Amino acid sequence: MIKRVEINYRGIFQKSLAKKIGSDIVIIASRMGRVGMSNGRYSDAPERNGIPCKYFAFITHDLAEEELEAEAGAKLDIDECDLSVVLDDTMCKGVEPWGWHGIRPINEKVSNGSTLLVVSKHDHAELLDFVGSKTFDWKLATYDGEPSLAGLWVNKDDLTHERTLGAIAAADPDIIGIEAVEKYLNEKNPKEPHRAQAARKAYDEVLEKTKAIKPGMGVKWQHQVPVLPKWKEFNEGSAVPAVKRGFKLGPLGQQRNPQFQRGTTKTQRPVVRFDLCTKCTLCWLECPDECFDPTDDGLYDIAYSYCVGCGKCADICPVKECIVMVDELQFENDASPWTAYKKDRGAYADWAEKKKSKGRYIHPYITGRGLEYVKGEVVPLDGKRGSSRR
Amino acid sequence: MMTAERVHTDRKVYEREELLNGCQAVAHGVRLADVDVISAYPIRPYTEVMDQLSRIIADGELDAEYIIADSEHSQFEIAKHASSVNARAFAGSSGTGWCYGFEALVVTATDRLPVVYIVGNRALDDPGAFGVEHNDAMAVRDMGWLLLWVTTPQEALEHILLAYRIAEDKRVRMPLALAMDGAFLTHSQHIVKIPAKEAVKKFLPPYDLGAGRLHPDNPISIAPQVNEDWVMEIRRQNWEAAKRARGVIKEAYKEFNAIFGERYSNPYFTEFMTEDADVVLIGLGQIAAAGRTAAKRLREKGQKVGYIGLRWFRPFPTLELREVLKRFKAVGVIDRDFAHGSPDDGGVLLHEIRSCLYPAKNRPAVTNFITGLGGRDVSIDDCIKMFGITQKAMTDEKLDDYVTWIGVRE
Amino acid sequence: MATQEMITYDKIKGVHNIPLEEFYTSGHRTCQGCESATTMRGFIKAAGPRSIVTGSTGCMYVANTSYMTTPWIVPWMHTQLGASGSSAIGMAAGVRALKRKGKIKDEHINAIAFCGDLGGGDMGLSGISGALQTNYDLLIIMYDNESAANTDIQATGLTTYGAQTTFTPPGKKTRIMQKRWKKNVAGMLAVGHPTCKYIATACATYPPMDFLNKVRKALAIGGPTFIHTYDPCPKGWDYHPRYSHELGELGIKSGLYPLYEIVEGQVTYTYDARPKKSRIPVNDFLSKQGRFAHLIQEDIDYIQKMVNQMWDEWEIPGIAPLKGVLKSK
Repeated sequence: MIKRVEINYRGIFQKSLAKKIGSDIVIIASRMGRVGMSNGRYSDAPERNGIPCKYFAFITHDLAEEELEAEAGAKLDIDECDLSVVLDDTMCKGVEPWGWHGIRPINEKVSNGSTLLVVSKHDHAELLDFVGSKTFDWKLATYDGEPSLAGLWVNKDDLTHERTLGAIAAADPDIIGIEAVEKYLNEKNPKEPHRAQAARKAYDEVLEKTKAIKPGMGVKWQHQVPVLPKWKEFNEGSAVPAVKRGFKLGPLGQQRNPQFQRGTTKTQRPVVRFDLCTKCTLCWLECPDECFDPTDDGLYDIAYSYCVGCGKCADICPVKECIVMVDELQFENDASPWTAYKKDRGAYADWAEKKKSKGRYIHPYITGRGLEYVKGEVVPLDGKRGSSRR
Repeated sequence: MMTAERVHTDRKVYEREELLNGCQAVAHGVRLADVDVISAYPIRPYTEVMDQLSRIIADGELDAEYIIADSEHSQFEIAKHASSVNARAFAGSSGTGWCYGFEALVVTATDRLPVVYIVGNRALDDPGAFGVEHNDAMAVRDMGWLLLWVTTPQEALEHILLAYRIAEDKRVRMPLALAMDGAFLTHSQHIVKIPAKEAVKKFLPPYDLGAGRLHPDNPISIAPQVNEDWVMEIRRQNWEAAKRARGVIKEAYKEFNAIFGERYSNPYFTEFMTEDADVVLIGLGQIAAAGRTAAKRLREKGQKVGYIGLRWFRPFPTLELREVLKRFKAVGVIDRDFAHGSPDDGGVLLHEIRSCLYPAKNRPAVTNFITGLGGRDVSIDDCIKMFGITQKAMTDEKLDDYVTWIGVRE
Repeated sequence: MATQEMITYDKIKGVHNIPLEEFYTSGHRTCQGCESATTMRGFIKAAGPRSIVTGSTGCMYVANTSYMTTPWIVPWMHTQLGASGSSAIGMAAGVRALKRKGKIKDEHINAIAFCGDLGGGDMGLSGISGALQTNYDLLIIMYDNESAANTDIQATGLTTYGAQTTFTPPGKKTRIMQKRWKKNVAGMLAVGHPTCKYIATACATYPPMDFLNKVRKALAIGGPTFIHTYDPCPKGWDYHPRYSHELGELGIKSGLYPLYEIVEGQVTYTYDARPKKSRIPVNDFLSKQGRFAHLIQEDIDYIQKMVNQMWDEWEIPGIAPLKGVLKSK
């Protein structure tokens, strides 16, 4: 018997965290007399900021280490897993690791009867608005928390690591047991009992917040898995066709790379109050992903399916409340905001303010230093433009 | 059974005669191929090719960009990228210089860019040595390069034309390394008949990368990063091209013979006195002269011996050579290279010949000679000695003398 | 000698005149807030569609394209890590020969090579030097994110003193492993290649449009030209992507990144950091990045001292680290 655990994480922001969790699963399991190993999905490296990646841990009670390696270790990705951990709930909207993998449902690998374990402030119903449906029974479990984003050098010690270990013990004790988790954390940090306590708290939380999901529950997945051509079916000499040249004003007027949209990289998306825009062009000019589409009225529409949510536009916009980054889980689709604005300016402004009002936060310069909650200010349609300069 | 070395002058395909060494002959081949971009960097013994080309360009006999690179790596990258914009490119090197540019050599093959480079074979340092050894050129043998050895200035000149024709063929599109023994062929002068431009035009079509060329009118991305989900298919494509090359080579020589006279009876190798032979020696490059002469003299003494000069090393003429070699009782493989620690500690060519022969029902005995390293002479007597040992191998079952070093101070 | 005013080129005047069309477009594997993506997008926007481009191995190669997909609209080709200079020569020479021999239409085609600080400033220096000695029309752009960012952030010859990388981690015994001072690539190339008509440093986002116009100017002046860009890297410098544009500005204003262009030997500072009052404390730049989180005051003081020297004592401030000639008796 092999227990396969996949840990879905947000590129470099969560690489250390995911690796630490994967490693500890193996160490704790081995202290329980089980055999384990862990590795990352090699093709994810070097992990970019925000890109969905995977780290794996494999545990067995009865197989030899070599057999475990042969079954699980020698693969670049796994076919199915017994537990899928999600360290940032916005990945529930789907993950697109690299080109030609396509946008995949977060629970794609979750097998019959297994669990999708998500750190989130949202409840099950809200998550199921995005997670793909399955043909069999599976479980959705959550434990409360922010996506613990850090940087490469300054890591964030917010106990997500310990809490996730406790949550995993609750989701499947055949992977690691809660007593072993507590013992391990207490031995590792003799002067810091709060770590083991945090694990136990998450353990209890998951036990109560695990929900059986019936076949068909969740959304019908729209994105197809791209078909890779046979060796005879593409150009020799490593030459691939360029993106076709083409530009016109308006939504999606700029030709883009159709096979790799990677909108699933974002945790937040920019919401624009077009009525406040001064047409300074900076959001368009400095977007590193060419996501802003110039329109005939001098405003800039956003191709959300290509936006990775870096937040530069919101930071550089000189007008207060004009561009604001908002939790990605609040959006059902990537429809053109400019089109909605042109259709009904008032309704759009109300919609934008409603989205903005929920969970407003920005990151400090050094990501690992935690979130700064900011109070938004509601500006009426065509309201006075304030300066956003700090 | 004359070897295909006679130059037919009974037609207007050759315009004049000149006394040229191998390097100079290659330069004339490059001139006749109307190469567009040449990148040069000095290292003995190939350097004179570039000396000669700079003169040819200075005299206005060739219209080409001549770039003095800052290193072999740059030299090969310059030629590679010139080739990618559909310019016919030429470069070359020797010994450790060839190795210095190795990274660029590898990607030129995987990008499938049909440049033609000359390798004036040179021993690899250390200690610094100028003399011939084949290990330098052989370094690309598994990398998707076409690789062959020529043995006379005439052959060298003509093979530059054949090289571009074969390498640039749409079915092939592989880079080609034309190797010649340093010091000997690169520097020894012979009378060379120089083909007429018109005849060359008939034989060598213009270089056309088609949809593979880098130009604003043909927007493509060449060699974007691949993940594990693509590499095998790309290698598979290159494997196919390398196999297709065998047929294209035959075609090219046929065409060449039709235009320039029956120059090459066999594209891949030349047989000398092999009919009814019991024993043959086979080798690459310049040793052929001594080998053939030795065979002739032993024939005069009534011994049934012959010599096979192997020309094409990549693609390896597997079937053709197997058919020929299985006729004999024993084959002596001459290696002007080394493969330390390889099976039986033999040379590179030994292993190629052996695995080529393995599927044959009644295989000849195979023995191996390591000789001429670092430019050490290989005399007619040395070859007679090798014939002798190979004759012994017909009956000798012992495994411990598969490999004999000839000409080393014991 | 030509003066800057004498050089006519299609200068972009005002953000509203920046061409709207993209030739490097959405759908690449770069990080959130990648400034080098902005650099890439910018240079090809300025150069336009009649261009061919090579990209050296590095994070902007691997991040840039995933096989069978590409964000490029203009022709693009990978080149080896140290081959930006030689790839530019190859393209330019090939195009020149084909045009002269009537094998392709006689039109201007920009040959642009793009490389990182590891590929260009360390390994590829000799090849770039070779390219700058030719008379081909080519432009080499070295994007400098101060690290080997494709292999998870190792120090290069251009990494700022004291920065943490996986090759230079602060340890129990040694706090600062990155003891090398940043290599002065643009300055060295300018001093070393008297016939090169245009060398500049730039930043994709500060001052706005400055980089676009430097690219235009380089291509208009022609011959071999070189631009060194400072590209803040949210991943390796460890700051949140939303501040990418600010970091470049802070680096320039602190004097760490001298911003200038050299046209036929004439230096113009496009951000003049010579007056002390025009420089902000280096710590305003350093303190916003996780890679410097381990520095203590004396480290910051040392960096400040070196920067001050660079502007107050160098013969040509920020460019030539010579302090003048001693009078001989």
